[in-house]
Amino acid sequence: MGTVIEIDNLVKRYKELIALDHLKLTVEEGEIFGLLGPNGSGKTTAINCILALLYFDKGSVKVFGEEIQPNSYEIKKKIGVVLQNVAVFEELTVQENIDYFCGLYIGDKKLRKQYVEEATVFSGLEDFRKFYPKKLSGGLLRRLNIACGIAHKPKLIIMDEPTVAVDPQSRNRILEGIQELNRKGATVIYTSHYMEEVEQICSRIAILDKGRCVAFGTSEELKGMIKTGEKIHLEAAGLLPFHLEEIKELRHVYKVDYREGMLEIRCSGGKHNLVHILDYFGKREIGFGRVYSELPTLNDVFLEITGKELRDSAE
Amino acid sequence: MFFRLYKYSIFQSVRCKLVLFWNVIFPVVLGTLFQMTFGGYVEEQVIFRRIPVAYASEQEDGAFGQLLKGLEEDSELVKVQTAEYKKARQLLKEGNVEGVFCEEPDTGDVTLIVAEQGVNQTILNSILKQYQRAKATFSNIGRENPAGIQAAAVRLEEERRYLKAGSVTEASMDCLLDGFYSLIAMTCLMGATSGLSAATDFKADATSLAARRAVAGASRMSMLLPDLAAKITMQFLYAAFSICYLSFVLGVELGEHGGLMFLTALVGSALGIMIGFLVGVVGKYSYGVKEGLCIGFMLVSSFFSGLMFQSMARIVEMYAPALNQVNPATLIAKSLYSLNIYDNLGPYFHCMGNMVVLILVLGMASFLLVRRERYAAV
Ligand SMILES: Nc1ncnc2c1ncn2[C@@H]1O[C@H](COP(=O)(O)OP(=O)(O)OP(=O)(O)O)[C@@H](O)[C@H]1O
Ligand SMILES: [Mg+2]
Repeated sequence: MGTVIEIDNLVKRYKELIALDHLKLTVEEGEIFGLLGPNGSGKTTAINCILALLYFDKGSVKVFGEEIQPNSYEIKKKIGVVLQNVAVFEELTVQENIDYFCGLYIGDKKLRKQYVEEATVFSGLEDFRKFYPKKLSGGLLRRLNIACGIAHKPKLIIMDEPTVAVDPQSRNRILEGIQELNRKGATVIYTSHYMEEVEQICSRIAILDKGRCVAFGTSEELKGMIKTGEKIHLEAAGLLPFHLEEIKELRHVYKVDYREGMLEIRCSGGKHNLVHILDYFGKREIGFGRVYSELPTLNDVFLEITGKELRDSAE
Repeated sequence: MFFRLYKYSIFQSVRCKLVLFWNVIFPVVLGTLFQMTFGGYVEEQVIFRRIPVAYASEQEDGAFGQLLKGLEEDSELVKVQTAEYKKARQLLKEGNVEGVFCEEPDTGDVTLIVAEQGVNQTILNSILKQYQRAKATFSNIGRENPAGIQAAAVRLEEERRYLKAGSVTEASMDCLLDGFYSLIAMTCLMGATSGLSAATDFKADATSLAARRAVAGASRMSMLLPDLAAKITMQFLYAAFSICYLSFVLGVELGEHGGLMFLTALVGSALGIMIGFLVGVVGKYSYGVKEGLCIGFMLVSSFFSGLMFQSMARIVEMYAPALNQVNPATLIAKSLYSLNIYDNLGPYFHCMGNMVVLILVLGMASFLLVRRERYAAV
């Protein structure tokens, strides 16, 4: 297993604004690498640097072991790109678009025909071959964008938020498709601000904020980095401040929030947290409604590390 | 790969209805309007109405005065009023005459003063030109070979007859033809907008499509050249179509050198495309602004070649001859015009040469601008 992408101390400024601040990342062969971050965190900028589209101020970007340049066509031939903004020809049909882009990589006519067909099926566009992009719905357009990027069966696939505006069903299909491409040997870089997606398919994740990589690892590792091990929600009316104080004294509990009859208790790792809490409510004879417990999400990771919500800024 | 990309680029152009509309409908409508209004105008105004002129000279029987008198009597082309210089200018100012011919009694030099430019003035000008040519011949022969004077006098007489017979309609038709040539020039230059779109599909910081193409595994030139070739092809077809429409449907006699006319259409289209391409790769203005620039340039260029106002090219020739050497629309129109009126192809190839140089200059400038391959921002 080799290293596919190596980004070292990458600095990119847009005039005053620092979009990438000494970014350091490595992507290993065969993985699905998630780049997670809110709007404006620098995901697209990082990808454009990997593709040698942008000048950058400092640092280096190596792809397949070589510093990539705009004219590194041999390297670029091995990369499949799905850019954030849909990029297709308005005047060409679905099939022609896929053929156009595939043809920029694959010269052999017969092979190309087969690849175009496979990409059409892969993205579920069989019924729309002769459609012009204008006639496609937003989700179908996204799928066409993906098909144009991956038709030539690249070794490295770079996808920048490919599932924006795609309905959940198609989204799942796309995610499954990506996993299948990965099983067939493609390394994938996937950016998104939907943490569920990233959590679902990515083997390793880097969390970006303001151009810096603030956390890095598998989703388990990331969750292990933060204090929260479990979040317990409990519906209870009329709790008094001293109740909250007492709850906070319970084992493992480190943060208590009470808002509009809903109690949120954060516990660090450890077992039987829920039992302890329910015990307390029994002892005090306080009635309660719904109770549920959840494991931390990547959002919690982001929240703890940066002090802000990933989701809020992302929608 | 070239032909596949070329094919798709052609598809792209053909399927863009708006481009098709402007390139096909516009010349047809404008050409038809021309023919309807000016076609009739020429006959009515020029053939059937005498042009009032004033003749100012100290002596009654100057050589040119004789010629004018002859023209008045034989061909009913002009209506001559003899007056002294001041009076003649007054007549011109009041609009009673369309031009004033002044003859120097000693040298026989004649000058023409007109108040405005139009078909009539062009005819007067052409009378003067004919006279000057005849006079030059006459005096040359006289100096070198006194015996030839007789022959030259005969020639002068012939010139006069020629003026009387053919030149009237020809001079006026020339004006109208200029309009049609400018129209063809404009059709070629409409390619500027296509050249512009080739640029926006190419510059990665212009559109996401261009960015997508820039990161693909093919060299940028291998994508650009088929695009440009396709756009030039399409523009050539549009220009060829207007030539055919003008000559076969409207029956305009554009000239005999059909093949060379199409060559002009091809080179002119390439010129139009390259103008648009350069506009497209310069600076970071929005597409709308650049499109406006292209259309504006096309109109101004066509205007100076005489699209709206047929004697414009001659006026420019008088006051800023250098402009006529570089103005794309004038070059295209003039090369067509040269085919029609000159016996040799020298002037034609002069115009074509200028166009090729322009294309090379535009190409070089664009190339220097797109040479960098990374962008500060996309
Ligand atoms: N062309 C540009 N010119 C100036 N600033 C830019 C440009 N593109 C991006 N930026 C800035 O750089 C920062 C990073 O932007 P980038 O597009 O990389 O973020 P992102 O993580 O991809 O966000 P999103 O989730 O919205 O796609 C942002 O603050 C943005 O405003
Ligand atoms: Mg982005």
